[in-house]
Amino acid sequence: MKKNIKNIIAIVFILLTGTTLKAQDAKYIGAMQSGLKMFSEAKTGADYVAASNQFERIGTQVKTEWLPFYYAAYTQLINNTTLTNTDEKDAAMDKAQELIDKAEAINPKESEIFSMKGYIKFMKIYVNPMARMQSGMGAAITDLETAKALNPANPRPYFILAQNAFYTPEAFGGGKNVAKPKFTEAAAKFDAFKTSNPMMPNWGVERNASLLVECK
Amino acid sequence: MKQFLIFLIFLLSIGESQAQTLIMGTVKDAKAKPVIGASISIKDSYDGTSTDSLGNFSFKSSESGEILVLFSAIGFGIDSVKIVLTGAALNLNLVLKEKLNALNAVTITAGSFEASDSKKGVVLSSLDVATTAGAVADVYAALQTLPGTQPASGESGLFVRGGAATETNTYFDGLLVKNPFNTQLPDIASRGRFSPFMFKGTTFSAGGYSAVYGQALSSALILESKDLPEKTTTDISLMTVGGGLDQTIRFKNSALSFGGSYINLKPAYSVFKQATDWNHEPTSAGGTITYKLKVAKTGMLKSYTEYSKSDVSLNTADLNTQSKSFFSNGNKNLYTNLSYQDYIGNDWKINTGFSASNNSDNGEQAINNYGRTDRLIQAKATVTKYIGQLSTIKFGSDFLSSHRDESWNGLSRAYNDRLTSAYVESDIFLSNDLVARVGLRAEHSSFLNQNNVAPRVSLAYKTGKGSQVSFAYGEFFQNPDDQYLVQTNQLDFQKATHYMANFQKMKDGQTFRIEAYYKKYNDLVKSAPNLNNKGYGYAKGIDLFWRDKKTFNGVDYWISYSYLDTKRDFSNYPSAVTPEFGAKHSLNIVYKQFFSKLKSYVGATYSIASGRPFYNPNATAFMSDKTKPYQNLSINVSYLTSVFGKYTVIYASVSNLPGFKNVYGYHYSNDGQFRESVQPPALRNIFLGMFITIGDNTYKN
Repeated sequence: MKKNIKNIIAIVFILLTGTTLKAQDAKYIGAMQSGLKMFSEAKTGADYVAASNQFERIGTQVKTEWLPFYYAAYTQLINNTTLTNTDEKDAAMDKAQELIDKAEAINPKESEIFSMKGYIKFMKIYVNPMARMQSGMGAAITDLETAKALNPANPRPYFILAQNAFYTPEAFGGGKNVAKPKFTEAAAKFDAFKTSNPMMPNWGVERNASLLVECK
Repeated sequence: MKQFLIFLIFLLSIGESQAQTLIMGTVKDAKAKPVIGASISIKDSYDGTSTDSLGNFSFKSSESGEILVLFSAIGFGIDSVKIVLTGAALNLNLVLKEKLNALNAVTITAGSFEASDSKKGVVLSSLDVATTAGAVADVYAALQTLPGTQPASGESGLFVRGGAATETNTYFDGLLVKNPFNTQLPDIASRGRFSPFMFKGTTFSAGGYSAVYGQALSSALILESKDLPEKTTTDISLMTVGGGLDQTIRFKNSALSFGGSYINLKPAYSVFKQATDWNHEPTSAGGTITYKLKVAKTGMLKSYTEYSKSDVSLNTADLNTQSKSFFSNGNKNLYTNLSYQDYIGNDWKINTGFSASNNSDNGEQAINNYGRTDRLIQAKATVTKYIGQLSTIKFGSDFLSSHRDESWNGLSRAYNDRLTSAYVESDIFLSNDLVARVGLRAEHSSFLNQNNVAPRVSLAYKTGKGSQVSFAYGEFFQNPDDQYLVQTNQLDFQKATHYMANFQKMKDGQTFRIEAYYKKYNDLVKSAPNLNNKGYGYAKGIDLFWRDKKTFNGVDYWISYSYLDTKRDFSNYPSAVTPEFGAKHSLNIVYKQFFSKLKSYVGATYSIASGRPFYNPNATAFMSDKTKPYQNLSINVSYLTSVFGKYTVIYASVSNLPGFKNVYGYHYSNDGQFRESVQPPALRNIFLGMFITIGDNTYKN
């Protein structure tokens, strides 16, 4: 009997830890799914901020996952596009930067994180292109090249660079003619891209396609 | 055993069947305004939400017992409150404190205009300084479009708020530059030596500046050089006045640049009719070496060395003999500086610098040989301690050794001075909205054997979003001009006391500034009847500035206006009068637009200023005559293109397009019989240049 009790205690212990782990996992996945739902349904800047806050809460709680901070940064970046006041735009991008830095601290070799870092730097430049273009472009491009090197199959750094070329005036080395082959290259990467997990980043394909159409 | 299984099932079911507590409430700021988009969360839990447009929130939590609610928002800090969850609904009224940060904190703006790309809330960008029409990339000419300054005249430098050109000093990475201009020719202003493209930050202070800087009665121009360049590039410039070649090599943590240029104004001057009777049109050749090294994570070492040699000769009219008088000048200038800055730990910063310069002028004036040499060595160190988020205290010391000698037909005289200074200054943020800067600077001059102590105080208060008021008071000391010091050491420091009040409002691409000032001069040097410090004076006025990038799409313009009322008794003046650099009204309109289709930047600058007083020996009162008003309209175009696939800018500028006939003043013969007007060397100047960059095909301004 004594032996039995010992066995039962062992079983209970295993079952308990197993459930709590599972419960944690389920909670994380549930929270992420609700965050992704908030993101996909967001319409206003405030909606994106709410989604970003949700992701940041998850990241702060789970501590070991880079994905929540990545999405928190990305939603903050989208929030920036809804703003008009340059100080607010800057504040949103600074917040995005702070969030992606947290993601990078968790996973310093993730191509998606470097893509986002480069994207954030571009968006920072767009707030005041005249003043920031010269000093900021290099660092943004370096991040995106790092993203390519870390995972050559990731289409997003290609798309972000193509998009940047699209919105850069011809006089500064951008324009539709420069952007078109870049979008085409990104489109091929998007076609071949498969995510391992439905929560992983998988955005950009539609925008890439529509901007490619505009280049024609 | 059965009991055990029930217990087990009970344990397993805990996760699924907890009670949910409703938590709701509002988040407001210190002024009771709702905070939108604030994040509310429970520590060590996924539960939480965000506030809506009214600052309201509500969410359910399955936690129980004592928990910590965290709340934060962009632009605010993070705060927390402990509550106990029992299942009963809770209503929380939360207040978030604004975070002390550089983004929303008040800044001291009294007296100063800052051009920077990295800092927030500045009025100008460094590109603005480089692209102002009429300035042709001369820092000083660009700053003449800002309020508080006087438009161009026949003398080099900046005349700030009734101050002489010698009252403005230039600082390069914190170090005083003794000879920032090419040699002054008779009645012809010279350009600054430094290219505006070298600097990432330019602060032009028209008064009330930091105790870190001394030896300028009126104004400090503080230039901060760029950090590491991004790429290895070759820059070629071909201009109507000469050419240059610069090579930048970027290494992993350092960069080396070297280059040379040759300028010859003869071809340009032969095309445009010159009022000046040139004998040898200005030529100059020079080279620069720059080295920048990033040391560990936070340290930056910078060094810059420049050498140039220039020659010129011309004939001026000798009104007394009604004949030509020959003038020639050969100038050799060597300037070098070395600076290092680093952070030590989290809250200490050090800035150290060393500079040396040697500038010599030799030539003939009429039948006489003259020579002049300036030598300067400076060492400076500043330590800054950061206190809390924004407040700082800094202290430092600088040591300036200057030597000047002058010769005239073999006779010579010289002086040596060692100026030792110490300073302490603190920025105290009493809140996000109120800052006080309190500083003290003490100097000792070995040559004068005199000491001075200069207190400086500034206050700034944020009156609303984007608007603030600033006040500044300060005492400023400067050694007498070299021309007097070579004659005697029986002089004292000259002194100016500044008072100013400033209001600034910045919103969505528009900036409005108004500043009123009063400046009192004491102990100015008088040269008659003998050299003494009995000169005095005042300057008071109002400066206005309006910049608008918003109203007209793609158009950026600024308007500056200065009203100046000044009188002084100094130099050889018999009484206190308005000096020749005291135009009462000055107005500048600077316009910039980028035409995307034409790939061109177009800029225009219009300046108008009331007449300047001049000395007419035939007049009944001293300096009672005035020239007619000054006017200028300059335009420039930068066309961005590529040549052989290399990024190229083609630049054209025309100064004084309409051909206004400006007179800066008059020279009279000793008997007052004859006079000659002082005017620019040419009615118009046209400049063409092509600037090619190899190695960087993208995104360069």
